[in-house]
Amino acid sequence: MRSNNLSLAWQFYHQEKGHAYRRFPALIQLILMVFIVTLSQTSNSIQTYLNTNLNNLLGADIVISQKGRLTDAQETHLNRISERSALTQSLKTTLTYNDNWQRVTLKAVGNNYPLQGELLTSYSLGGKTIAGSSGPLSGEIWMDSRLLTVLSIQLGEQLNIGDQRFTVSRIILHEPDRLMEGHNVDMRALIHHDDLEQLNFPKDIIHSRYLFSANKKQINDMIEWQKAHLPAAQIHHKQGAHPLALFWQRTENFIGLASIILFFMAAIAIQQLNQLQMQKEQFFSAVCISFGASKSTGLQISIIKWLLNIAFLLPLVLLLSTLLHWLAIQWLSTRFDALEWHWNILHSIKPMLIAAIIFSAFHLPIWFRLKQASVRQLINNLDSKVSKSLSFTCALIVLATVSAIYSDNALLTAMVLGAIGISITLILLISWFALSLGEKSTKKFSGLIPFALYMMKQRLLSKTTQILGVGLCAFLLLFTLMLLKDLGGTMNAYQRQHDGNLLITQASETQMIDIDTWVAKNAIEIRQRKPFMYGKLTHINDMHLSDYADTPSDSLATFMRSIRLHWNDSIPENNRIVDGEWWQTNATHWQQISIEQEVMTDLGLQLGDRLTFYITEQSVEFEITASHAYKPGAGSITFWAQMPAAALDFIAAPHYHMASLELEDAQFSLLAQVWQKHPSLRMVSMDEITQRFDKTLAMVTQIISGFSILISLLASIVILSSVHALEAKEKKKNSIIMSFGLSKKTCFHLNIIEWFVTGSIAASGAIIGTWIAGLLIYESQFSMLYRPNFFWLLTTLSIILFIVTAIGIVANKNSLSSSIRELMTE
Amino acid sequence: MSINPNNRIELDKVGQSFTSNEHEVLLFQDLSISLVQGESYAITGPSGSGKSSLLMLMSGLELPSKGQVTYLQNTHKLPLSDLRGEIGFIFQQFHLLPELDALNNVALPLKLRGQKGAEEKAKYWLTRVGLAQRLKHKPQQLSGGEQQRVAIARALVFEPKFIFADEPTGNLDTKSAKEVADILFSCCLENGAGLVMVTHSETLAARAQHILAFKNGQCELLEHEHDKGKVHYA
Repeated sequence: MRSNNLSLAWQFYHQEKGHAYRRFPALIQLILMVFIVTLSQTSNSIQTYLNTNLNNLLGADIVISQKGRLTDAQETHLNRISERSALTQSLKTTLTYNDNWQRVTLKAVGNNYPLQGELLTSYSLGGKTIAGSSGPLSGEIWMDSRLLTVLSIQLGEQLNIGDQRFTVSRIILHEPDRLMEGHNVDMRALIHHDDLEQLNFPKDIIHSRYLFSANKKQINDMIEWQKAHLPAAQIHHKQGAHPLALFWQRTENFIGLASIILFFMAAIAIQQLNQLQMQKEQFFSAVCISFGASKSTGLQISIIKWLLNIAFLLPLVLLLSTLLHWLAIQWLSTRFDALEWHWNILHSIKPMLIAAIIFSAFHLPIWFRLKQASVRQLINNLDSKVSKSLSFTCALIVLATVSAIYSDNALLTAMVLGAIGISITLILLISWFALSLGEKSTKKFSGLIPFALYMMKQRLLSKTTQILGVGLCAFLLLFTLMLLKDLGGTMNAYQRQHDGNLLITQASETQMIDIDTWVAKNAIEIRQRKPFMYGKLTHINDMHLSDYADTPSDSLATFMRSIRLHWNDSIPENNRIVDGEWWQTNATHWQQISIEQEVMTDLGLQLGDRLTFYITEQSVEFEITASHAYKPGAGSITFWAQMPAAALDFIAAPHYHMASLELEDAQFSLLAQVWQKHPSLRMVSMDEITQRFDKTLAMVTQIISGFSILISLLASIVILSSVHALEAKEKKKNSIIMSFGLSKKTCFHLNIIEWFVTGSIAASGAIIGTWIAGLLIYESQFSMLYRPNFFWLLTTLSIILFIVTAIGIVANKNSLSSSIRELMTE
Repeated sequence: MSINPNNRIELDKVGQSFTSNEHEVLLFQDLSISLVQGESYAITGPSGSGKSSLLMLMSGLELPSKGQVTYLQNTHKLPLSDLRGEIGFIFQQFHLLPELDALNNVALPLKLRGQKGAEEKAKYWLTRVGLAQRLKHKPQQLSGGEQQRVAIARALVFEPKFIFADEPTGNLDTKSAKEVADILFSCCLENGAGLVMVTHSETLAARAQHILAFKNGQCELLEHEHDKGKVHYA
């Protein structure tokens, strides 16, 4: 019996595969599987790359890094554990040559550098690569090729850092300990340790990295020792995770979560087609029963057909996902040096299996109804529709499963799902409101438009799903391409107005005094100025930070480094209290701290929690007594952590300043003098900020555009599926209209009207959605008025309208081929 | 609408055939008849004899294999396409739009034509077919007989000159069939519309003034002896 079922299923599978109710779901499953497998493979390639990096680019077996040097006793202790070590020290500084300047990471190395691996250099641009085992000599500086170009300096020429002269002697191609730079794209220069000593940079701006050769036991000893004696230091070792591994895991999870939109649209399309498939399968099952077959025959055949469908999809999924994976790696390799295409069969099979299980949930309602098939249905022509509540439950199960697979952070999941939920609700409301209003207001009138509106209102559910598919797609495209573009433009204008066009991100007390003099001399306006000190969060409620949170978050990633601690006695003008109470002026209880609201949420902090900061060489405990948020209108320099000014009496640490200035265009050339005198001064111009923003925006736009292609594909399938699901009804409607003596042209006009209305509602929904999102973001985050570009809005509206109407008309072509004769023969 | 016997559909030596498995199947040939507005015609015969095909030819929806179909209005010969706007259909399966209630189903032809007062006229016709109390009911809430009465009202509401009905009582029980037939004939009479119907029911066919019967591959025009020469509806 089973083999009979198998051969029957095989036969029916081949007969049905060309039908739309089979073809569209197969297409949807193909797209989703390709997406998931590509995501999994790409993520795996990146993780493999990071692991390889960890092994090859750590430049040591274990690295301990921190601000400033270790004490002699600490160095001696570590050197007792490991036989070989090397020290590198780096700082951000600005190199100047003639009138050119460039912000760089300057690294100083000794004679024992590199510890492991090779330092690759060359004597000319594009020249022969030299693999070396030592760094520059004293008086030499090695630069990367971009830096040479930006400074317009040649090999052999000399430049000054402070009062010291350096000869540019080589081009750096590769440092074996580059891993620690992560995504850092700063331009780089290398000098000798002895020269760094001579330059007399403030010790607290120098980051020290101690590289050790060590075996497993020595690594463990060092980790234990670091936890006990250097809690603020960062430690990386070959047996641990790459510093960026969590970040990329988060990226994969975020994209995975966003795929809920895709699954949602798939659910819409499949749910509509299921009705058609249901009728056919249940009819077949009932006929089988009438022949005396068991109830399970139809069910078994249906399950086998479904499995065959999945099995035939797999080769295509593998082929397409491999191609897309390769393309994704090519694209990413512009950002990751030496990222290679790496294919892993397990990372294809696992997601395909999960996807198949998820898709089976879409099919459950059909199988459930097949269990209930009976001959009665053939005699009484009973309704064989799939129960809506069952379909809805199954769709919810699918969406919940996808969320669960990709969720690593409740807040992020809630935010992504919330954003999608709001868009969907908005489009649904607009559809319902527009169609109801249209129908009500034209009820008393005759003509094609009132009839089209009336019919659309009557078919609200199927129409809304079409609108939803198109609307979501348009919303995502608009939001990305238009809103972010506007946001960038407005932010630039706003920052220019409030912050000036030059931001000092770190100036020491001495540097600030010189800046004051320089500013007064050149009639430059300082718009804001705020003091801060550096502190590294080590413990939360006595628990080490690495033990406190194991899920990735932006806040956690930032807290892995030292952060800026600001002090004051009154609430800054650009902050507002969200929770708790700000301290009184001259507070005696100085161990109070206010933490920014988003950080509190991200790390799950509460008022009363105790935070331990390592500040210079001192461990300081604070109690969270307040939480603040950014309030626009008084400049954008704000801090995550703020403490009472009274704390300064108890904490000995260097003080720095952040400030913003407004310079005339001509005055920018004066900056070279300041940087020459203070190479460690950190300044960034508004142009640079804008460029960074534009680069980020370009990357985000590319990712979202790729994602939008997938959504557009699915939106088209949603349209086609819904058209197909309604085709029989549409044909009948057109035939009936023709039986009133009206022509096919009338039906065609009705079709155009219907799709024009669908497109209008979807486009309006998307535009209103984008507008609301824009207003919310601008209002809540920047207190700025969102002024969308109306030309772009109208152009977009027209394009969406045109595309949707065209797709709808083409898809509906079949329904126009109806005739009155068909009504007679029914 | 007044009856104008000069409005007629002329079939002149019409024949219809189709090809099946490379064989030509002849349905009928050399059929000449004049369908006059205001008169009733029944087409009878066994299944597959060509009744529906003849109905399609008469309504101008299909072209004959041989012969000619013309539409005459006050002796003016008009293209068959002009007939399209002058005819209404009634089907065995009723074919009401399930999304619309009875009132809107009937008002639909008028609304699509952009006519004013569509709902008032629809209300009148539904009252006329005895469904004044069922205006807001959707098709699935109506019995088969009621649905067919709605379909009759819908076919007549835009005052066509001819009504073509395909087995109008074929799906109904005897009592409902009689009620529907009464309404169909009286409404066509009231409206001055010609009625052409395909039916298997001898009782229904007997109520028509003219009967076209398919027998042994031939189509013959039979006339009621007692009604010969009269315009009369039961």
